[in-house]
Amino acid sequence: MPASDAMRLNVGAAARPRFPLRLKLGSLVSSSETGLKSSHFRRPWLAAGLLAPQLLILLFFFFIPTWKALSLAFVQVDPFGATMIFVGLDNFTTLFSSPEYRDSAVLTLWFTTVQCFVTLFVAGLFAFATDQVMRGRAIYKGVILLPYAIAPAISGVLWAFLFNPTVGPLAQMLHELGYAWDPNRRPSDALLLVSVAAIWKHVCYDYIFLVAAFLAVPASVIEAGAIDGAGPVRRFLTITLPMAAPTIFFLIVMNFVYGLFETFGIIDVITHGGPAGSTNTLVYKVYQDGFRQLDLGSSAAQSVVLMAIAVLFTVLQFRAVERKVNYQV
Amino acid sequence: MASIYVRSVAGLLAAGALLMGAAGASAAERVKIEWWYAISGKLGETVQQLISDFNKSQDKYEVVGTFKGNYEETMAAMVAAYRVNQQPAILQSAERGFMTMLKSGAIIPADELMAKQGYKIDWSDFVKPVAGFYIVNGKPAALPFNSSTPILWYNADALKAAGFGAPADTWQGLEKQLYALKEKKVTDCPMALPGDFQWSLIENYSAINDQPFGTKANGYGGLDTEFVYNKTSVVGQVARLKKWIDDGVLKIAGQGVAPISLYTSGTCASIINSTASHSAVEADAKFKWSAAVMPHEEGVQPKNSTIGGAALWAIKGKPEEVQAGVAAFFNYVAQPTVQEWWSKATGYVPVTNAAYAKMKQDGYFKNHPTREIAIEQLSRGEPTDNSRGFRFGNHNQATAILLEEMQAVWTGKKAPQEALDSSVKRGNEILRQYEKLHAGK
Repeated sequence: MPASDAMRLNVGAAARPRFPLRLKLGSLVSSSETGLKSSHFRRPWLAAGLLAPQLLILLFFFFIPTWKALSLAFVQVDPFGATMIFVGLDNFTTLFSSPEYRDSAVLTLWFTTVQCFVTLFVAGLFAFATDQVMRGRAIYKGVILLPYAIAPAISGVLWAFLFNPTVGPLAQMLHELGYAWDPNRRPSDALLLVSVAAIWKHVCYDYIFLVAAFLAVPASVIEAGAIDGAGPVRRFLTITLPMAAPTIFFLIVMNFVYGLFETFGIIDVITHGGPAGSTNTLVYKVYQDGFRQLDLGSSAAQSVVLMAIAVLFTVLQFRAVERKVNYQV
Repeated sequence: MASIYVRSVAGLLAAGALLMGAAGASAAERVKIEWWYAISGKLGETVQQLISDFNKSQDKYEVVGTFKGNYEETMAAMVAAYRVNQQPAILQSAERGFMTMLKSGAIIPADELMAKQGYKIDWSDFVKPVAGFYIVNGKPAALPFNSSTPILWYNADALKAAGFGAPADTWQGLEKQLYALKEKKVTDCPMALPGDFQWSLIENYSAINDQPFGTKANGYGGLDTEFVYNKTSVVGQVARLKKWIDDGVLKIAGQGVAPISLYTSGTCASIINSTASHSAVEADAKFKWSAAVMPHEEGVQPKNSTIGGAALWAIKGKPEEVQAGVAAFFNYVAQPTVQEWWSKATGYVPVTNAAYAKMKQDGYFKNHPTREIAIEQLSRGEPTDNSRGFRFGNHNQATAILLEEMQAVWTGKKAPQEALDSSVKRGNEILRQYEKLHAGK
């Protein structure tokens, strides 16, 4: 830690008021001697008690399900649990040799990546424009935030209906423009529809963060740029954007997580993963195979693979991107 | 002041306690029987009516019906619940899940339950196609409840406008008519593709045209059955459907729209759908609608079609008094008068001969000729190994694969033969997996 940072921490700790509940907080001086942090609990049970709710939630909603998934991934089981046969890595070898699974993996990678960057780009555009909007800024923001308030299932039904090739009004419009729109028969149309719906749903999330990040850029720096003769676009690209990098990095991670895991509802309503598996992402396939078809062994193996992918992605992103991000303002 | 508040709060609490006590008492008098069912819309309303009629007919039991989504979703909910011992007492499960339920180890066979609880049901009175499916080794495993079969629904006004009195008997003849509807610009959508087309246009197509769907008499002969529908005239059938779709004669409804509503709204001139669509068609169709038996291939003597719909299963792991209630409810449902009412209200076929005879005697079918099509089609001719029905383990899974492969044909990703080969290969893997898990059961 650089000396200046340590200094600042010290100052901060000294200036901090006493903790109102009179918990016995360790003083800064003794912490370096005992090896404990500047504020710590003397009695471990209190700390444990305060941590317990969080740990219990983790236990019940994370560790136990993970354990279940892991244990099911190596067996074949009838849905009612009457018969269980240990099959070793069979579920995994079947999975990796299945062309449907490979297609689904490629699709997921493509879908998640496109979704991530397009969402970010569109949200960035809107956020940049927010600064330029003078009158009716509240309405502008409100309209952009609306999709976030609509449940995925509802918005999915709307998208599915509007673009239904037989009865959907927007589909009719496309037909009149001479485009043979049919997501039931053209996989590219189905994928496009799901992607647009997913992006539409998530733009507002990115937008909120980006607007806040852009606002946090000191006006003095931007004004300095303006005085030096930089136009709004140049100021945005060379000042605002780099300073908002930590937020953008955070959003890239969040978008990936969203694309990988949370587009489930939209896919379920708009395409059911079809036609012919062309929108069947890895998460949706886990659901299809596990809960619709009751092939629990394969489904569990798939969720283990998915977990590995999620961990890998996050680690890679942190390693690759975080080094280039400057958190200091 | 404070004492008033205290007293009023205390009074409220006391009143609440009394109310809860009263509710508890009345609930204790009646044994609750949980039933998870899988049909919705108008059919769901009829189910609720049936339940309330049963509850009024006696004062010992109270059936509580819960809609758990479509057949697959209800089955999935059941499986999840069974594993943590939260299963319902009665489950409505589709014909597709018959083998899965039969060998699940989670059910009490219907005849065993009824005999134990002292009810006599004349199992021989069930109409032949229904009995042929649900009765295993002379014993019914589940109570046949809502039985259906696909029939051809058509818009008589549209057909007349194109110069036809009735739909043709054969696929070849029907093809000409559908193309004529399109060419004469009577409609832009001569036919809608049903959501469960694998049931009507592939499985029932195989049965009617006497083509094997799987070996070992379509699974009746043992778990070592294999799918063979990639070697039969199903290949030509799929090619025909693909051609119709490409030519805009057959339309896929897609998500957001129920295929049957394309027919009832008048958008599409025909659809091959379950006879249970009667309740929806009668309520919604504003044109001269009618129905006919499903078409068959030219030069083929058509066989019976197979049943769809569902049966009621008694689930294990419930106390004696609940089982007695399940038996009482089954007994109620199997009564001819209830059967007759149910069939009339829904469009499902009457499942007992007594109910069928009574409806016939009353002249019901004279006034509602389309109501008799399904049962006539189901009972047509002597059933063969190819037309008796389908008994495949995990048939839900194989069905999902077949649907996915068919979509690959519609999108042009695969040729019909290629897709059917792949579907059979993947389906056989599921059959082998099922055989491995249930060997010796």
